[in-house]
Amino acid sequence: MEPSPSHPRTSLARSIVPSSDVVVVGAGLAGLTAAIALVDAGAKVTLVARGHAATHWTAGGLDVAAPPGSNTAAEGLARLKARRGHPYAFLAADVRPAVDWLMGVLSAEGLPYAGDLDAPLRTMPTAIGSTRRVSLVPDAQSAALAPWSLDERLVLAGPAGFKDFWPAALAASLERPRVWGGDEAAVARPARVEAVSVELPGLAGRRNLTALHLAHLFDDPAWRATALDMIAMAVEEAGTGPGRIALPAVLGLADHAGALRDARQMLPLPPFEVPLVPPSLPGLRLYHALRAALRRRGGKIEVGEEVIRVDHDGRRVTAVAIAAAARERLFRTGGLVLATGGIAGGGLLGRADGTLVEPLLGLPVEAPAIGEWLAPDPFEPAGHPLESAGIRTDERLRPVDAGGRAVFENVAVAGSMVAGQRYLVERCGDGVAIASGRRAASTLGAALANTRGRREKAGATR
Amino acid sequence: MTIMDIVHEASQFEVPLSADECLKCNVCNTVCPVARVTDLFPGPKYVGPQAQRFRIATLLPPQAPSTPILTSPDATVDYCSGCGICTTACPADVKIAEMNSRARAEIKAGHRPRLRDWLLGQTDLVGHLGVAFAPLANWTLRNHLIRTLIEWTIGIHRRAPLPIFAGKTLRSRLSATAKGSRGETGGVVEPPPDRAVVLFHGCAANYYEPHVAFAAIEVLRRNGFETIAPDQVCCGLPFISNGLYSNARGRARTNLSVLADYARRGYKIVGTSTSCTHTLKAEYREMLDVDDDDARAVAGATWDICEFLLDLHDQDRLDTNFGRLDETLPYHAPCQLRSHGIGLPALDLFALVPGLQAIDMDHDCCGIAGTYGLKKEKYDIAMAVGDPLFTRLRATESARVACDSETCRWQIESATDRPVKHPIEIIAAAYAARDNPSRASGPEQAATTR
Repeated sequence: MEPSPSHPRTSLARSIVPSSDVVVVGAGLAGLTAAIALVDAGAKVTLVARGHAATHWTAGGLDVAAPPGSNTAAEGLARLKARRGHPYAFLAADVRPAVDWLMGVLSAEGLPYAGDLDAPLRTMPTAIGSTRRVSLVPDAQSAALAPWSLDERLVLAGPAGFKDFWPAALAASLERPRVWGGDEAAVARPARVEAVSVELPGLAGRRNLTALHLAHLFDDPAWRATALDMIAMAVEEAGTGPGRIALPAVLGLADHAGALRDARQMLPLPPFEVPLVPPSLPGLRLYHALRAALRRRGGKIEVGEEVIRVDHDGRRVTAVAIAAAARERLFRTGGLVLATGGIAGGGLLGRADGTLVEPLLGLPVEAPAIGEWLAPDPFEPAGHPLESAGIRTDERLRPVDAGGRAVFENVAVAGSMVAGQRYLVERCGDGVAIASGRRAASTLGAALANTRGRREKAGATR
Repeated sequence: MTIMDIVHEASQFEVPLSADECLKCNVCNTVCPVARVTDLFPGPKYVGPQAQRFRIATLLPPQAPSTPILTSPDATVDYCSGCGICTTACPADVKIAEMNSRARAEIKAGHRPRLRDWLLGQTDLVGHLGVAFAPLANWTLRNHLIRTLIEWTIGIHRRAPLPIFAGKTLRSRLSATAKGSRGETGGVVEPPPDRAVVLFHGCAANYYEPHVAFAAIEVLRRNGFETIAPDQVCCGLPFISNGLYSNARGRARTNLSVLADYARRGYKIVGTSTSCTHTLKAEYREMLDVDDDDARAVAGATWDICEFLLDLHDQDRLDTNFGRLDETLPYHAPCQLRSHGIGLPALDLFALVPGLQAIDMDHDCCGIAGTYGLKKEKYDIAMAVGDPLFTRLRATESARVACDSETCRWQIESATDRPVKHPIEIIAAAYAARDNPSRASGPEQAATTR
């Protein structure tokens, strides 16, 4: 899969923009975390991304570690820390402080998170009628965290005709004990599962209704008051007794906090959101909150601008070239965070000859040989072999060569670009993104401080 | 080399075949300002890359003569406003908005254009007539009864923000020298490219807002650049937006025949209309398949005025002796500016002006998207798209707003009753404040001299 020349340059005309201390490439969780931490450390930061990242596709929770067999995220973290070659082998100690810090940042942006790395992983329903295990979730999903008591019912309530959330079908699946973890006695689950579909105001006959449409409606206080009232009546009609309500994750975007507050006030049982297929509102909210946090601090973010080249002097990156219309635009920079998202994000490209390449700097890629790219079982319990491909780094996240020496002094790799993680099966992608994003920021922040120190010293002795 | 490599090399397939990169991830749908407010447009993913598979069969040569020509399976693509936000959001480089534009053109190709769409593209004709009869034309277009008749007959919404014709065109106010060697008089000696730029003023500055061009000319003069405004016509974007590609190609050829010569001689082509400059940079190639040496030379030489000034600043060549402008200035970055991929250069320039507190409104699109919001059936959609911006602007104390694109300025002015200035007018005012601090064109004065 060669990169196609999708931006044929029509001219070599260049435009150079004033320099940044650090350019962060990639607008996913790792890149945004790194950028925020760098601005907090006093750096002038520009984040550039070719497009939006995986935040829009994810459930919005923060998966720190949940490899098979672990009961808590902390236990999973310890397990992965002991795994040779796993990023947690050197990042594990950073995970708690980094996640706590980022949850503080999100809370300040009106998007609080709940959960505890030391509490047992909780089983929560998904929008396809299965379950998943979580530790840290947005506040809107937090009502799913508490253990179920023996008399509790789960009411799945959704707008009639909404294609991404079918209460009756979900209930039919979630009624089966094995969906909640197999061993019926050991796993707490709701005593009863009920389904209600509600005709919400103004939606009759609307085709192609998406989660976004519903979220925009829930942003409107008047509409949501009526809608929540109708859902409340339907839930009360469906049955009695304690329990919780599972709603599709559509409780607002611009005014999510208001929508969640109203839902809690108006519904007869504690509600929680169930993340949907993309586009995922919980993921969008996470992206919006992090983007707002970065901009509030004075960081710049430019999405839609593809990096086409990185200039360096062999040891240090000096500039980043962006594909602008009809020309390339050059950012001079003192450092680079490479958070380009691994294979899924386009940060690594597979060539026809079976090699993986890192297209921006040509960094050495650690990857299984082509014969091992595909596991015979698509649901291979150990994870897909190719997942672990990435850039091998030193403990400061600088990319290293086969001999373990840093290839560039002022480049730090973050997120799913870091080699050795199998984020799908280990459920560690968010923890690695946050811890490595913050570590990358401290590596480059320290490098900047050194450079500045040297410059000042040179200035003083001159 | 694979077949796809060959295909990618042929630029006319770059846009249509970029659908192949689509992951169906829905990111485009999350950012589309039109799908956000109306069910009439299902979203860029559906009408763009997803519908493209039905169109693509007709693109791949060689085509069997019996193959039916498929246009689009879904006429709702006409509700795409062309703002281009989807293309910038796409993580897979799919040229979604461009694909939609081409699909619209294919639907319209071979049919007689709707009078309204043709008229909206005829910016030079309308401009010339309007300026010639400016008092009458301006009265007519502000008469509610007449506007209602126009809505019924032609389909331009009665409340759509139509601009006010200037008393004289910009071109009629420029000296023969300023029009350059290719100008009406010919034979003028032009200053060399390091001391002059070519001004692509566009229709807005020629027929409605000559003061924007004069602000640019003054700012350029301050920085050691004479301005040459050679013969030019509408860039063709209004035709492109209305799916009338063959008319647009005519405009492109006319402009390129004049501008390419300047570009080859090393002149930069600077424009105050961010949508015109983007058309010269990208859309001749991406939409119209006009991709010859002339088009490439002009694309590479074209600069948005703020982009050009910021580049000067980076070379330490910008005169930064600005006077104080003590004001808070809300700034709206037009959707069309974002397609340039140049960041928000106006904000970087504003940061150089003492006292000036620019606020990025951070709203995706004001709704107008060129001529989209003028149309009877799309006016309400456009107003809903811009509504969050208008609401926030109405709540500010600021006396004026800044925005790089003319149609956005007219839309925002009409919706908020705030005067909206081109950033170059603000920069010119900052220079003027330096020259004459006591008579600085502060916000109050600016508001009265609208």
